[in-house]
Formats: sequence, C-alpha cells, structure tokens
Amino acid sequence: MSDGGGRTPAGAGRAPALEVRRLTVSYGARPVLWDVDARFPVGALSAVVGPNGAGKSTLLRAALGLVAADAGQSLIEGRPARAALDRVAYVPQRDAVDWDFPISVREVVEMGRYRAAGWLRRVPRADREIVDASLERVGMAPFARRQIGALSGGQRQRVFIARALAQQAPVMLLDEPFAGVDARTEANLLELLRALCGEGHSIVVVHHDLATVRAAFDWALLLNVRAIACGPVAEALTTDTLRRAYGGVVGASDAPLEESLWAG
Amino acid sequence: MGRLIDLLPLSYTNAVVLVGAVVLGVTAGVLGAFAVLRERSLIGDALSHAALPGVAIAFLFTGAKDATSLGAGAAIACVAAAVLIVLIERTGRLRPDAAIGAVLAGFFSLGIVLLTYLANFNNANQAGLDQYLFGQAAGLLERDVNVMAALCAASLLAVAVAFRPLKTTLFDPQFAASAGLPVRTIELAMTAMLVVAVVVGIRTVGAILMVALLVVPTVTARQLADRLGVVLVLAGVVGAAVGGAGALVSQSAELPTGPVIVLCGFGVATAAVLLAPRRGVLWLARRRLADRRRRLVEGVLVDLETALHAGPPPTARELALAGGRPPRAVARALRHLDRAGMLTRDGDRVLLSETGAAAAHALLERRELWSLWLEHGWRLALPDAREPDPTDVRASLGDDVVERLRALAVAGGPEAGR
Repeated sequence: MSDGGGRTPAGAGRAPALEVRRLTVSYGARPVLWDVDARFPVGALSAVVGPNGAGKSTLLRAALGLVAADAGQSLIEGRPARAALDRVAYVPQRDAVDWDFPISVREVVEMGRYRAAGWLRRVPRADREIVDASLERVGMAPFARRQIGALSGGQRQRVFIARALAQQAPVMLLDEPFAGVDARTEANLLELLRALCGEGHSIVVVHHDLATVRAAFDWALLLNVRAIACGPVAEALTTDTLRRAYGGVVGASDAPLEESLWAG
Repeated sequence: MGRLIDLLPLSYTNAVVLVGAVVLGVTAGVLGAFAVLRERSLIGDALSHAALPGVAIAFLFTGAKDATSLGAGAAIACVAAAVLIVLIERTGRLRPDAAIGAVLAGFFSLGIVLLTYLANFNNANQAGLDQYLFGQAAGLLERDVNVMAALCAASLLAVAVAFRPLKTTLFDPQFAASAGLPVRTIELAMTAMLVVAVVVGIRTVGAILMVALLVVPTVTARQLADRLGVVLVLAGVVGAAVGGAGALVSQSAELPTGPVIVLCGFGVATAAVLLAPRRGVLWLARRRLADRRRRLVEGVLVDLETALHAGPPPTARELALAGGRPPRAVARALRHLDRAGMLTRDGDRVLLSETGAAAAHALLERRELWSLWLEHGWRLALPDAREPDPTDVRASLGDDVVERLRALAVAGGPEAGR
C-alpha cells in the first residue's frame, strides 16, 4: 500500500483524524471489508472511492462502530472510536431516512446539538444559535420552518450537512453526499467542504466520481473490499491502482476511465 | 379517577366505560405512533393477536377473570411474540412481513384453541373470556380503569421525558447511533410501549381489531400536522375521541365494542386521508388537475401568440394543428381564455385581446427566464439554497437575481458563441 506520507495539508505529525487498522467486516459469510488499513490526515478533504459493492459505506459505518467488525480497530484522533464519538459528525446516505417524516428543517439540524446539550434537556439558547449559524452556513436559513419532504435533493443534503456542522465536531464523515444532487449544489457543497477543511476540519467523503476526487480532494483511499491504495490523490489514483480496484472494467478499456480521471 | 367518574353527567357504569375508553384511546394513539412512523404497524397487529393465548394461560393458572392478572398474561405473551419475531428475522431467511405473519397466526391459533378448550372443559367461570376477541367495554371496573390510567400516565411521561432521543431514533437511527444513543435499547423500548398499549386496550377493543386503534390516530394526525410533537398530541386526541365515542355507542346499542370503535376510527381516518389540506387525496387530485389545465392553457396561449406573429389570425382548427394538440383540448383552452377576457374573435378566427397579449408576453418572459436559468444559472453564486420555480423564476429568486441572470446572458460566458 502506498502510504504517501509527508504531504498532509495541516496535520503532519499529529494522529490521523481517522485511522482503521486491519479492519475486517462481514455480512453473513461474505467479507465486505478485508483487512483494511487506512488513515485520513487532519485538515484534509479525503475521499473513499471504489466500485459498487467495494464496502465504502461499510467502512464509514464500521469506523464509527455502527457495524460490528470481525477484527481490527478504528481510531479517531488516536483514540478508540467508541470513546471519541463526540469528536466526529456522521452524515448518513440521504435515502437512509424517511423524508415524509413529520419534522422541520430546523428540528433536524437541532439534532446535532442534542448530545452536547443533553438528550433530555431543552436545547439552550447558545445551542440554538449554533443551529441558526449552521443553517445560515449552508444557505438553508430561509427554509428553517419547512417540513423536510418539501425540499429538493440538494436542499436535503444541505440540511444533513448543517446538522453535522451543528455538532461542531472536528472530524466529519459523509456517505455519498453527492448522489442524486444537481451539479450546482455539488459544486457549492464541495466549496463548503473545502472551506471547512481550511478551518481545520478533517473530512472523509464516500464518493464515486473519480473526476471530482481528482480535482477537489487532497487524499484518497481506493477501496475494493481490500484497500488498494491510500495516500495523496495523485499517488493513490494511478492507472495501475485503478485497474487493480476496478478490475476487468478497466482491463477491457482504459480510455473512459483515463478520460474521467483527467477530465477534472 | 373516582372523582372524575363522579363528575361526568352519566350513569356510573357509563362514566367508567367512557373514562376507560378515553384512557385507552390516548395510550394506543400516542404509543401506536412509534410503530406507524417506523413503518412497523404490522408488529402492532401481531402483538395484539399474540396477547390472546397469554390471557387464556393466565386464566388457566389463576382460575379468575381478574383484569390485572389477565393483563399480565397478555403482556408476557406479547413480549414472547416480539422476541420470536426478532429472532426469526435475525437468524432465519424470512423477511419481516413473513416473520410477523407467521408469529401472528401461530399465537392467535393457540389462543383460539385454548379459549375453546376452556369453554368445553371448564366451569362456567370462564364465560366472558371471548370478549378478548372482539372487545367489550361493558363490565369495565373502576379498579381496571385505575390500572389503565396509571400505565397510560407512566408511558406518556416516558415519551415526554425521552422525546428527543425517541425523535432522533425514529427519524434517523444511523445518526442517532453515531451520536452515541443506544439505538437498540430505544427500539426495544418502543416495542415495549406497544405492548403497554395492547395490554391497556385489548379487553375493550379485542385482539382482532386492536391494531386499528394503534394505527388510525397516527394516520389521521399525520394528515393534519407535520411536526412529531403535534402529531403525537393529535394522535392522543383522536384516539381519545374515537375510543370514547365508540365505547358509548356500543354500550347503548349493545354492539361489540371493538368493531364500533374501529368503525368510528375508520370514518375519521378516511375523512382525513381524503380531505386533509395539502395531503388529502382530493386536495392533491384537484391540484394535479389545475396544473394540467394551466399547462394546456399556457401552451395554447403561446401557440396563438406565435401564430399571430407569423401570419393571419388562425382558426381553432389551425391552432390545434400548429401546436400538435387534440382539437377538443384546444377548444377547451380557448373557452378558458375567452372567459378570462384574453380573446377577441373574428368569425371563426381568434385574436388576442389587449389583456391576452399582455398575458402572453408575461408568459413568454417567464419561459425565457427559465431558459436563461438553465443556460446560465450555474454561473450565479446564489447567497442561499433557494431554487427557482420553473413557472416563475422571478418570484422565486427575486428581481436582482433575474437582473444578474440577464447581464450574464448579454455578456455571454467563456463558452458563449460556440
């Protein structure tokens, strides 16, 4: 595995924002992650890429302890993940929830404060202000009182990201935030994520579009059940590693992949 | 409870029945929401049916028709059924609906067999156990109502205290777990609340129809409200109203209570599903029709404007041909435009009146703005996440955004002119 080393944007020398060691996860008898080692540096915008069924989403969920691992461990800022949940904000896939649920945009974002404010207490004024600021930051302030079902796909994604912002956690893990989102929103959100990295957040995004990863991300883990490569984008995503990750698809024809790779 | 029962302007028996039915309506209404909103309504059905053998076995052991011990038996059977469903789902290859169906049928059959056995071989003491099938409000004792009220109060208090964890887990269990909530435990608690609702309601409503009282209030409330807190309160109110009304009617008409309560609930839910503003079936259908007519009328208006530009005023027939629309639809649209004072007629040829011309121009401008947005919108950095309404970009994005859009179009972009 090419581990790149050195070229991390801000956090060289510190414990990685997220690190998994020898992680193996199975659904039934079939391993979906096999002996995965990966680390994501502090202050970087990192991508987890790989073909369908590569275990990308499972990696995030296992890293948080939401799925039981057969073996291996997950460290957030050097501490075991289960003990560091307050340092990480998780953005699940959009279609994981029922968007007809009776809840307003603001209430969803407020969920990001429940843990800090105390689950059983009213949300104090200071926390409500954080909620306002998060809504403002993603441009959803005019929609605060809407029921979430009335939103477009892009707006829904913004709500989820606002909830993660409200958690004020230094590490953010996003599962396919750009799936089914229009190009303009994707560009806006990428810009927002870049800005957050500039402010010291460490962000890991499960993503499927190699062109955007190439253009906008600092770091990449190339995954196909095993970790194929993990490092700065240019080192992790080479023709060779991509062929190993995508197998026959690339073997049959290099051209489309090469194209999408350099299009950014 | 005693004082409340005395206060009601009803006979003592009727007052007890009414209070009991209201209490069970509130309990089932509020707690049922935690099944319906998780799309687990069928679990409620399975648990209600599964309570029956619990009741029969409790009677076998105690030999008395004491509501509390029979209720305890029902609770134990419910829990057993819930555990069995989860086990089958986790270890077997059955889908949840099959697991639920199998457990429901199995427990219910056992209950029927036991009840028949008791009826055949036991003393006359068992008479009345069959009311657990269809429900019977009559004969409800103040003592029973007190127990029901205590269970109701305890569970409502639990919901109020744990409202935020419950809401978070209901809406987004993955996020809830990532924020450190014990999601498994909370989901267990939600199932336990369902057991409480079933135990409180089964004697009055009956095993077969209990599910209706769990589902109907939430369905109705969801049609009318889009905040969880409001939905829960409304579900409690609807449950109370339906339970109270049904119990009183059945009491005075000497009908089985369960079916009467459920008929009331069915009426209320049907009305809500049909008529609720913004979510009701009729409301949605009306809006769809209005939308379709608007698109037709606007299309014909633009066709007419274009035809007038190109040559002499068209006939309705020529207009239909030019727009590729069915002549009858065009005739309908023209009638609509005529009523709005947008047309003048010259024999069988149609022209636009002054209002008509103005409307056509406004429409063309709106369409042009939408095209501009599609072409150049991506270069606008909007200050927030507003998105344009295709039919009216100006109203949805504001005048200054429209001005910038026009400026971009005039200046052309890096790709302009290609």
